[in-house]
Amino acid sequence: MTELDSRLHILGVRHHGPGCARALLGALNNLQPDVVIIEGPADAEAVLPQALDLEMKPPVALLIYAPAQPQQCAFYPYAEFSPEWQALQYALKHQLPLRFMDLPQHYQLALRNDEAESLAVQDKQTIRHDPLLLLAQAAGYQESELWWEHLVEQRIDVSDIFTAILEAMSALRQECEQRADWQESKFEQRREAYMRKTIRSALKEGYQRIAVVCGAWHAPALKQMPTVKHDQALLKGLSKQKTQATWGPWTYGRLARKSGYGAGVQAPGWYHHLWHHGGGELTSPSTVTQQWLVKVAQCLRHQGLDISPAHVIEATRLTETLTALRDRAQASLQELNEAITSVLLEGDPSALNLVFNELIISQRLGQVPSTTPTVPLQKDLTQLQKSLRLKVSAYPKDLDLDLRKEIDLARSQLFHRLNLLHIPWAEDIISQQRNRGTFRESWRLCWQPEFSINLIEAAIWGNTIASAATEKTINETKKQLQLDTLAELIQKILFADLPAAMSAAINQLRQRTACSSDIKPMMAALNPLAQTHRYGNVRSTDRHSITQLTQSLITRICIGLNSACSSLDKDAADDMLKQIKDTHAAIALLEEKDNIDTWQQTLLRIADNNHAHPLIQGYCCRTLMDCSIWDANNTAQRLHHALSQARAPEDAAAWVEGFLSDSGVLLLHDELIWPILDNWMNALNQERFIDILPMLRRRFAKFTAAERRQMGEKLRASQIHSTTSQINPAAKLDQERAHAVLPVMIKLLRTSI
Amino acid sequence: MSSNASHLREHAEHQFAHELDALKAIDTRQRPPNWQLSPWAVVTYLLGGELENGVSISAKYIGNRRLMEIAVATLATDRALLLFGVPGTAKSWVSEHLSAAISGDSTQLIQGTAGTSEEAIRYGWNYAQLLAKGPSMEALVASPMMRAMKQGEIARVEELTRIPADVQDTLITILSEKTLPIPELNSELQASKGFNVIATANNRDKGVNEMSSALRRRFNTVILPPPASLDEEVSIVQQRVESLGKALELPAEKPALEEIRRVVTIFRELRLGVTLDGKTKLKTPSGTLSTAEAISVVTNGIALSAHFGDGQLHGHDLAAGMVGAIVKDPLQDDLVFKEYLETVVKERNDWHDIYRACREVCQ
Repeated sequence: MTELDSRLHILGVRHHGPGCARALLGALNNLQPDVVIIEGPADAEAVLPQALDLEMKPPVALLIYAPAQPQQCAFYPYAEFSPEWQALQYALKHQLPLRFMDLPQHYQLALRNDEAESLAVQDKQTIRHDPLLLLAQAAGYQESELWWEHLVEQRIDVSDIFTAILEAMSALRQECEQRADWQESKFEQRREAYMRKTIRSALKEGYQRIAVVCGAWHAPALKQMPTVKHDQALLKGLSKQKTQATWGPWTYGRLARKSGYGAGVQAPGWYHHLWHHGGGELTSPSTVTQQWLVKVAQCLRHQGLDISPAHVIEATRLTETLTALRDRAQASLQELNEAITSVLLEGDPSALNLVFNELIISQRLGQVPSTTPTVPLQKDLTQLQKSLRLKVSAYPKDLDLDLRKEIDLARSQLFHRLNLLHIPWAEDIISQQRNRGTFRESWRLCWQPEFSINLIEAAIWGNTIASAATEKTINETKKQLQLDTLAELIQKILFADLPAAMSAAINQLRQRTACSSDIKPMMAALNPLAQTHRYGNVRSTDRHSITQLTQSLITRICIGLNSACSSLDKDAADDMLKQIKDTHAAIALLEEKDNIDTWQQTLLRIADNNHAHPLIQGYCCRTLMDCSIWDANNTAQRLHHALSQARAPEDAAAWVEGFLSDSGVLLLHDELIWPILDNWMNALNQERFIDILPMLRRRFAKFTAAERRQMGEKLRASQIHSTTSQINPAAKLDQERAHAVLPVMIKLLRTSI
Repeated sequence: MSSNASHLREHAEHQFAHELDALKAIDTRQRPPNWQLSPWAVVTYLLGGELENGVSISAKYIGNRRLMEIAVATLATDRALLLFGVPGTAKSWVSEHLSAAISGDSTQLIQGTAGTSEEAIRYGWNYAQLLAKGPSMEALVASPMMRAMKQGEIARVEELTRIPADVQDTLITILSEKTLPIPELNSELQASKGFNVIATANNRDKGVNEMSSALRRRFNTVILPPPASLDEEVSIVQQRVESLGKALELPAEKPALEEIRRVVTIFRELRLGVTLDGKTKLKTPSGTLSTAEAISVVTNGIALSAHFGDGQLHGHDLAAGMVGAIVKDPLQDDLVFKEYLETVVKERNDWHDIYRACREVCQ
């Protein structure tokens, strides 16, 4: 082992931290290095100079991917407050030689392909995952983030900080190595070996002041150099894969730990604020607090909350008192959030979410120069276009797909996915054509130049069309507030065949329905879901989760429907009737006996509910009869009740409308119903008849011409029938008066007798 | 005023006098003017702990330390403190102990009711004096608020939102100007340092008087949440039920922990709107479903089983009380509870007895 060379200056950092970044800049300025070495994949060096481009605006990510399989890739996100980014900028601005020293991705990606190695790469040991936790716990903190923030990020005096970090991490690693269960993975050892190799070659080239910027954890390993042989043994025999590097725009949202990025931070927006307003000699801790609180106040005001400057003053005072009570020098996000909740939000922390997304995470989107090499997403699309034999052209071209063919199914999925990504290259023209089966689709393809920009924008969601569409859709489902739009989205996801997005959307829908007390949207959501469930297997989708969801939806609908049918006005009842019909169809489609039973029980209850709108009652009666729950006599009795004198004529008419809503065939062929209706009509006095006539006319106009004609014929037949048999021969029929009725009847039935 | 064994209930500052003295003895941190203890010592008094000199401080509040820190820091900034929460979350308890620890006196108390008048908050008159000598300081009857201002102590207002809104607004001048004008004597009372106000209010009550935003703005609000975990709540219910059972001399056996756990689970799930495994979301009923109500459901069940059952607490003894506690609004809550029964309770294998019992009561 050789001791630390005096030419070597190891600067251990945390990957994203404004305090660290500031301290690092100070250290670099003091050191005036002649070469800068940064922990980053060595095969990215080619695209580094672009970081100086004026159009380059962080957050951006360095992307390294295998051109053959773009889904194999690695991201290195940088924000303005990332120490690596600052070191990069420093080196480029001072025109210093710049090296990346981490194990190149052409090895790392190949390693990941290797079965045995992939286990080692996904190292789940907690110490490795959060090495600072041990130190934080030793200092009496519960989480490492807070400890690091108090000790390093918010430090005002930053001299000697890197020596301290180096010492702390050396102690930590020694402690770890003594543990029985501890074993540094082979993968990590290789990475560190490669880093040392890079440093050795820099030493050999004769640089005098070498600045090495690396993650704090690696610092001790770079200080204590083992023999060259040891490292060569580790790096021997690694397989290699072709890689390509480029820059891509990134967002703070994806920099947050919440988004699943391992080295992420909890509050990128807050760090951005600290980087711009905190630290240095010019600003005091209290200005950082004040400026943050003013930002929060403005954000809350935009959201429609009344926040006065007096609130901000009081919140500042509470923050400072809390900080003092906890013996801290500078307020952290925790104190600020507590003060905001207590003073600005009247104790209700749920409104803090408003601030959370906009300020604490912040939705800042980075930008890369237009000259940057293309993103993997674009590559993936080009490849798909090639393999699916689709030509890119600006001229509209129609394409008919037969989904039973594998290639056409893949094409359809691609189109649906692109549409989900808001790249409307293919437009669905099914609606304009008549001949469609479940296996046929028609599309119109037309490529617009701005789609390339859309692609770059979509690139933040993923590297392949499938993964990007999945990510974006999952994000979308979180925003959708309406149950029915969510259900429609589920249908789109089904067509695009994105199982991960599907389960996310279904989960979301389940949560929404549980909280919703309005059952109409639930009914609206049920239909597309039932369709999905029924025809899902044409596209081979997992149906189990949908079954569960439809089941719980039906239970909820059946419990709540009866009361939802009460006290409706005409328009609301029309709307509700439509939903009930859809639900009925959906439940019939599912063909589950239990569901059908519960549904019929619900309809029974509505039919007997005196507060339900007569339109709906009528429909329920009819449905129950169709399902043969009620026999004809029973139905006739209901009809009689509904149409009896005690009922207001409008109600009776509405009932009839509901009852006859599906078709007139029932009326034509049911020997019981026809006379009841007929008798009822005859019993109306003139006033009531005039009241009801428009409604009846509207109702009957909905029947097909053939049905109306048949009804007319039947009516005429029964008239003849009645003149011959039922009329008392003693009473003479007044032919003249009888004929006077006919024109009305003709008008009523809109047909000729 | 001193400690007396015959009192039914002691004031906090008397009951825990030895703890307060012990804290005072070791407390070297900076104290805000007229405070008996430093903010740090007040927080320690509330949350309990072991002192350097070996005295152990009992925990007065079991829950989140940060909430108590915010409350104490608020009082140290001379902003008034509003403790907000559903019934049974120890609001009054915290307010009493805060004022006992800060001022050494928790008796400057104004109970808010619909009949609380302005005199109760400001001052009244001794009419005999008033008639005999005319308006003077001697004829004035000070309210607890006025006494607290004079002595630089904490004044407590219980159930602030039950006080009519126009009377509530009397507090605005006191809180913002820290003075109490006495126009009759052409004079005023300026608050001494150390004066502050702790108010408590209920956020789940119907028919309360909303605070005006002018008044609201002068308070920092701390919401005291219901118990955080199932085990914590189960143990609170168990302890209270046992002590209540003793007081009422119920002949039944000790309540089965399993049954208590079920009641608390149902209450928690409906209150939080999600099942304990976090998988299913639920609608929440309009009632509070506080720990206090869970306690009364269990005591009720014990009484039922003792007098009409076999002395053992079963699901059906609890059902009636539980439905009564949950279904407060016959239309909406009924739907919510039925949905909960059908989607959650029915699915749990060993819960069939309680499912059937609740179904019977619901029908």
